[in-house]
Amino acid sequence: MAEVTRERWSNRTLFIFAAIGSAIGLGNIWRFPYLSYEYGGGVFLIPWVIGLIVLGIPWMMMEFGMGRYFQKGAPGVFEGIGKKWEWVGWWPVFCAFLIDTYYVVILAWSLRYVVSSATMAWGMGEAGATGAGSYFFEQVLHLSSGPSVLGAPVLPLLGFLALTWVVLFFIMFKGARVIGKVAVWTVTIPWALLLVLLVRGLTLPGAIDGLNYYLSPDLAALGNVDVWFAAFSQIAFTLSLGMAGMFAYGSFIAKKADVTNNAFIASFSNCATSFFAGFAVFSIVGFIMQALSVPVGDVSSAGLGLAFVTFPVGISMLPGANAFIGILFFLCVFFLGIDSAFFLAYGGVIAPLMDKFGWSRVKATAIVCVVAFAIGIVYTTTGGLYWLDIVDRTVCFYGLLITGALACLVVGWGFGADKLRAHLNETSDIKVGSWWNWLLKIVVPLGLLFVVIYGGFLQDIPTSYGGYPRWATNVMWIILGVTLLLSFWFQAIKTKGPKEGE
Amino acid sequence: MTTGAVVTMVVMWLVFIGALTWCSSRLGKGGKWED
Repeated sequence: MAEVTRERWSNRTLFIFAAIGSAIGLGNIWRFPYLSYEYGGGVFLIPWVIGLIVLGIPWMMMEFGMGRYFQKGAPGVFEGIGKKWEWVGWWPVFCAFLIDTYYVVILAWSLRYVVSSATMAWGMGEAGATGAGSYFFEQVLHLSSGPSVLGAPVLPLLGFLALTWVVLFFIMFKGARVIGKVAVWTVTIPWALLLVLLVRGLTLPGAIDGLNYYLSPDLAALGNVDVWFAAFSQIAFTLSLGMAGMFAYGSFIAKKADVTNNAFIASFSNCATSFFAGFAVFSIVGFIMQALSVPVGDVSSAGLGLAFVTFPVGISMLPGANAFIGILFFLCVFFLGIDSAFFLAYGGVIAPLMDKFGWSRVKATAIVCVVAFAIGIVYTTTGGLYWLDIVDRTVCFYGLLITGALACLVVGWGFGADKLRAHLNETSDIKVGSWWNWLLKIVVPLGLLFVVIYGGFLQDIPTSYGGYPRWATNVMWIILGVTLLLSFWFQAIKTKGPKEGE
Repeated sequence: MTTGAVVTMVVMWLVFIGALTWCSSRLGKGGKWED
């Protein structure tokens, strides 16, 4: 059988940008700054940096290193360790696919808001500030009364969803070389836009008050287990690990090229971006506090509420250039997310499908884009926001953490942490010591299990997640179970693997 | 800004700049990018 030629990144710079782009996403701007404020201000950064060093970076080295060792995506890596472990690679593939089905919908919302910003559709001044929430929930989402009332798709959102998937198809169908080139732009454009937003934010009255809330340390918080939970969970989510994609991105690295230094650079760049984004976010938060004479607790929020309600409130209260800043902000959201979207789709799903079934890149890309778009239509319905939240909790919390812990255990104990470390050290700029073995075998899996048990099972089993009806929480366990069963099914399918040149 | 906020800001930027500078200084000391 002819040897299969693995696709490659064109050069190191493009790979680093692709890795940074995959890690930097919406959470950098809407989750990290809020956590820092909520969990002790500057003190939160201590467990966060510790989590980065003992959990995030070793985990990323493992995913890059195993991908490069086997020259395959996640399922191929675990099949290489032992045929019985292939499902450990497929489970995060299905989770990544489901994450992408709703993640791209959020990008579609941001495009919708680029258009809305041009006319400041949610209003100007105090009218805009009070109307931003109802504009998002009632006029953009047409939100229904609960998850059982799905309703029809909202047509503008459906259109922007289709547009975003078309853009993603054209980015992905030529593979890693084009993805790397696109990532250079999708990383640098949000950096530039964040800088503009920061400069604008810092020149507003009240900005310094906001930064004080963001950064002032509360040393007593270090003794609070919730602070450590929040910091470790943020590290687990922010680096785009546990979503299968980093194995494939690692497999596109040349066999003699560095792994460990790339992992350090990508991780630190991602976290520096989070820290930087916090300045832009909290300068605006401080401005809103002063403009509306409200306490910080009424303004600061995480997630969708920050991007689609709090920020529009701030934008409507600006003394000038409201539409311009609105367009910049939502373009920033779009560009922050687009490279995570093609990372999830290409590294997480398309590359493993090509490895397993020997599909051409165009065929695999088209199938993934069409099926993900079709599933994504659910989130454009009037009840879509509820389902987005439920599926997010299922796959991006439970799925990511459980499959991540499993992967570290199988690699650390089954494949051998020492064997992987020797492989990494053979060609890498930074040599890792035997301490890394124990991080991979014990600390990372325990850290992930701590997060999933403390922040997940102990919350969602006694009380239904998010205040939804109990049946909605049960759907979470069903989705998780179905993705697991699909993983075993895909393991059982026998194929001939990729064709030459694919 | 409060003293605590300024200290946090300065320390964190030193951490990030220091880490990325150190990583950059190691570039090319290990493997080669081409197969």
